[in-house]
Amino acid sequence: MKKPFLIALAFLFSLVLLAQKTDESTYLLTTKSNTFGYSNLSLIDPYLSPLTYSGTGLQYEHESRRFLSVTNTNISMQHKLDFELGYLLNPAQTSNMVYMDVNYDFGMHYHFRPMKGLVLLAGGSWDVDFGYKEVFRNVNNPGNVDLSTNLNLSGVAMYDIPLRKRTLRLTLSVETPVFGWMYVPLAGASYYEMFELGNLSNISHISTIVNRRGINPKLTLDIPLRYSVWRVGLKYQRLQYSANDMIFDRKELSFLIGTTFDMIGFGGRKHPAPKNFISTNE
Amino acid sequence: MKHYILILLAAVVLLPSCMNEPVSEPDTHEGNFQALWKIIDTRYCYLDYKQINWDSIYTVYHQQLSTATNEVKFFDLMGSMLGELKDGHVNLYSEFDISRYWKWFQDYPSNFSLSLLDSARYLGKNYRIAGGLHYNKIDNGKIGYIYYSSFSDAFSDNNMAYVLSSFSDCHALIIDVRDNGGGSLDYSKQLASYFFPTTTVTGYIRHKTGDGHSDFSSPVEIITPANATIQWPRPVAILTNRMSFSATNDFVNRMTQAPKAIIVGDRTGGGGALPLSSELPNGWLVRFSSSPMYNKAMENTEFGIAPTISVALSAADEAKGIDTIIERAIVALK
Repeated sequence: MKKPFLIALAFLFSLVLLAQKTDESTYLLTTKSNTFGYSNLSLIDPYLSPLTYSGTGLQYEHESRRFLSVTNTNISMQHKLDFELGYLLNPAQTSNMVYMDVNYDFGMHYHFRPMKGLVLLAGGSWDVDFGYKEVFRNVNNPGNVDLSTNLNLSGVAMYDIPLRKRTLRLTLSVETPVFGWMYVPLAGASYYEMFELGNLSNISHISTIVNRRGINPKLTLDIPLRYSVWRVGLKYQRLQYSANDMIFDRKELSFLIGTTFDMIGFGGRKHPAPKNFISTNE
Repeated sequence: MKHYILILLAAVVLLPSCMNEPVSEPDTHEGNFQALWKIIDTRYCYLDYKQINWDSIYTVYHQQLSTATNEVKFFDLMGSMLGELKDGHVNLYSEFDISRYWKWFQDYPSNFSLSLLDSARYLGKNYRIAGGLHYNKIDNGKIGYIYYSSFSDAFSDNNMAYVLSSFSDCHALIIDVRDNGGGSLDYSKQLASYFFPTTTVTGYIRHKTGDGHSDFSSPVEIITPANATIQWPRPVAILTNRMSFSATNDFVNRMTQAPKAIIVGDRTGGGGALPLSSELPNGWLVRFSSSPMYNKAMENTEFGIAPTISVALSAADEAKGIDTIIERAIVALK
């Protein structure tokens, strides 16, 4: 009878020791989320057509956020990578467009905690966007490229909603471009003239809130389940930019679903995994 | 902090409302007419050059809108309006028809007979095919002959290397681009590059920069490069007819600058501008000349390029199985 008792005591003791050891080391967790979206999409690209093309899109978004350091839990940095594919039709459904977009966004935010359960983030971000649109039946102007890089104002509000069994997290994030650079083709000129013959004049434009306006509010709800946290949300994106006597427009409403989780990364000489973490590298 | 949340919500609500909602013509006969007329008025490149009074054409055709009681009649009316431009690069595409202007070749002799080419005197039945190039030796093996029927048909440097090496014992070459209605400007440049020992400016291109009929960009040089590995240093004749159009017109224009080239046959059909396309609210596609191209002297090539040696296909020769234009080229190359 004594033996099992001693073993149980030793086990509990070892747990206490482990807890103490863990408490002594502070690690930064990275909150990651992966979401898939189904979008209702509407595009105007006057280089390709004066008509509004509308259709559906599929998107994937990866987002990660962590604090700058263990000693600074007021400033966080965020990485976002979005992929999107869309298929659109003109209003008469006589022509189709394929749309592809990749966007990388790096942001930093200051965290305010005005009350329990509410965190407000304010900051900025830098993003690079590459998109391609193709209207297959067009003649000598079948495709157009979206290329831009922007500095954005960014804000996030996170509110915890405590329920009986779990706490939900409601997040509203917004970003708007303030200043940047964008490529816009010459209206009326073919890509043959621009890129084969080298007429690249006036395709490069500084963008400000005067000629490039956009906003992308995203409302998500994180729902903790037994072993995972699921995320559902809605995202609205509106972007309008103008140059070379053309106004480009994009509207998108997406339904998002995915998961979010916290993880820790070890690596390099200065940040090796502690011995109580088991790696496949060992 | 309330202010912060209010600012965040205000941005979400107000910023999209600051953006202009784009407007387009309604999908009615009137709306489609207005859209088509405006596309040509602001984007077609030859209104001034061809001295077309597009405003009076508006008046004439707008009055007839009430007679277009169904889609087909409306299409025919719009096709007729576009026909006033007398341009082979202008078409209206619907689900049931394509409007076109073909008088640029239909009103002229064809100067080409495929059955003559197929005779043993010329290509014969055992000619070789390299990419889009059909070739054989003619004139008792003294002249290499290539028939290229479309600049949409691909060929590579490798193809051309084989073709020209098979003509190594020929003293001259004929490239026949009669009835070649055009295609890719890349193939035009590539084919011409074998006949230029040095990179040469062979023309210019401009594009519309505003709504005015003569609002054009500064000319941009069209360069024909010298092919680095494959060169034909001997004489070459290019055979043309009125059906030599668009990219073929561009090729012929390039070849007028090639040091050992002559153009033999009829004037080319033109099509001297790069066409672009746009759409009407009802989904019809309109193709139109957009970026005018010029020869080295900055002259428009819309109405074709005159041959060095003007020759027509004689009916008497044709009856005897002789292609007058090929024969004239053979003589000129001697």
